[in-house]
Amino acid sequence: MLSDTTLTAILDTTLGVVFTWLGWKTYKILWKYTPYSYPNARINAMEAKLLSEQRLGELAESRTLQNLIVNLEDTDYKNFMGSATTVDELERALERSLASTYLLMEDILPDRVSGFFRLLLEEWDVRNIASVVKAKKRGEPAVDYVLEIGTIVPRVRAMAEAKTMEEILVILEGTPYEEPYQKLLLDEISLTEFETWLYRTYYSKLLDYALSRKDEEERLILGEFVRTKIDIMNIVTLLRGKAAGLPGEEIRKSLLPGGTLKLDSALNVEDLGMALAELDSTKYGPVIRSVREEAEKDVSAVRDALEDYLLQRVGELTKFYPLSIATALSYILRKEREMRRLRALIRLVASGFSPERIKAIIGGGLAP
Amino acid sequence: MEPIVYVSLGAALAAGLAGAASAFGVGVAGAAAAGAVAEDEKNFKNALILEGLPMTQSIYGLITLFLILLSARIIGGGFRFTANTPDNIVKSAILFGAGLTVGLTGLSAIPQGIIASAGIGAVAKNPKTFTQGIIFAAMAETMAIFGLVGALIMIATGVGL
Repeated sequence: MLSDTTLTAILDTTLGVVFTWLGWKTYKILWKYTPYSYPNARINAMEAKLLSEQRLGELAESRTLQNLIVNLEDTDYKNFMGSATTVDELERALERSLASTYLLMEDILPDRVSGFFRLLLEEWDVRNIASVVKAKKRGEPAVDYVLEIGTIVPRVRAMAEAKTMEEILVILEGTPYEEPYQKLLLDEISLTEFETWLYRTYYSKLLDYALSRKDEEERLILGEFVRTKIDIMNIVTLLRGKAAGLPGEEIRKSLLPGGTLKLDSALNVEDLGMALAELDSTKYGPVIRSVREEAEKDVSAVRDALEDYLLQRVGELTKFYPLSIATALSYILRKEREMRRLRALIRLVASGFSPERIKAIIGGGLAP
Repeated sequence: MEPIVYVSLGAALAAGLAGAASAFGVGVAGAAAAGAVAEDEKNFKNALILEGLPMTQSIYGLITLFLILLSARIIGGGFRFTANTPDNIVKSAILFGAGLTVGLTGLSAIPQGIIASAGIGAVAKNPKTFTQGIIFAAMAETMAIFGLVGALIMIATGVGL
């Protein structure tokens, strides 16, 4: 028989083990979910305030830009509109609103993932730099291409106002964009290669960040998000290249590494139709098939369909992981889409299109 | 161990563990409530109700604490198990077990807070999901109720009030 002391020791040890295990598990659960409690509830409330189809329809009925501005006063864009009266000023307001959304996400999300939204904001820097440099090379007014969103907007504006191409090099000094721009100036790389370089650098940084997250759930969600974005970029590049009749090897140079697709066979086919057929066997096959006819006329139909697919996939992840970064990603994708639709709506209203025509374009071109 | 140690530990674990878990649960749900209200004040009522759900475990803990203390006559009379006899040790160990049961099942307040937090997010997005949110969060309550019922049986049949 066990003595009382031994029995007490066994009981104490058992309780100690049970309590240690419970404490550890509790800590893990709290570490994982608590930081998402506030931001995700707030983001869900923000999502409820996104413009509904009905509201967009009402805005499409504005008929004049002045009426549209008055109607937008009831929305969250009011805070960014100031005294905007022109199309350009309204577009800048939309861009500022989107930029503030990225910054809000960075602010309220847990530190271990908030940097991802700073990186997403940097994508606009890449777009801005590529647009400005392309415009400068073509001799067009680069200021028209500057979007008021990104982490280095003042620098981009200075680039657009630069008198010479060399001046831009000074502005880009110390940034990751300096090296490719230097090579472009020295004619070591072409404009297309310059743009590809920018996007490659950016997406490899984004993917590295996503895959370096400690939490498995965050790694999975961010990894899938970035890889899908890369796949979309690559598919669109491939199809545009094929539509332009470029050889596979030429298109390959513009593809981004890090995606999930193997595009070798699609690269080696002769035309756009065959490339679309090759993509049929990939996981994006059903999405591409649904817009096959439009895609043969305009590749942007594939881009829109794939962006809808990404939104739908992130939405699924949000439902599966309600207290995770998926909620913020889903919101930012919806907000970006809303901004694109509003931008189109503003231009169409200003151009005097009829409400019916605007609804058809907004509803069809940028499907919900 | 002395009977008084078993009884005191049982009472402390019942109220302490369940209370701490409730605090965490309400904290998680409260942060979500603040987030929902920060965007739209109309979410206040729904968020408040969902936030309050994880508090019940601390009430179960408190009820158990009183029952243990009453049963051992720490409240309302002299301590029943002063003598270190086998019968007293068994009875005080039963009280300890009852307290531990309520304390451990009271930990369900933490996941309940997490469910309530997700529910507050869902309600902020679509107010029609309020009832479903309550039901989902109330599921986690079941374990705490089982624990309380178990503890009541242990105290009533094993020791008596």
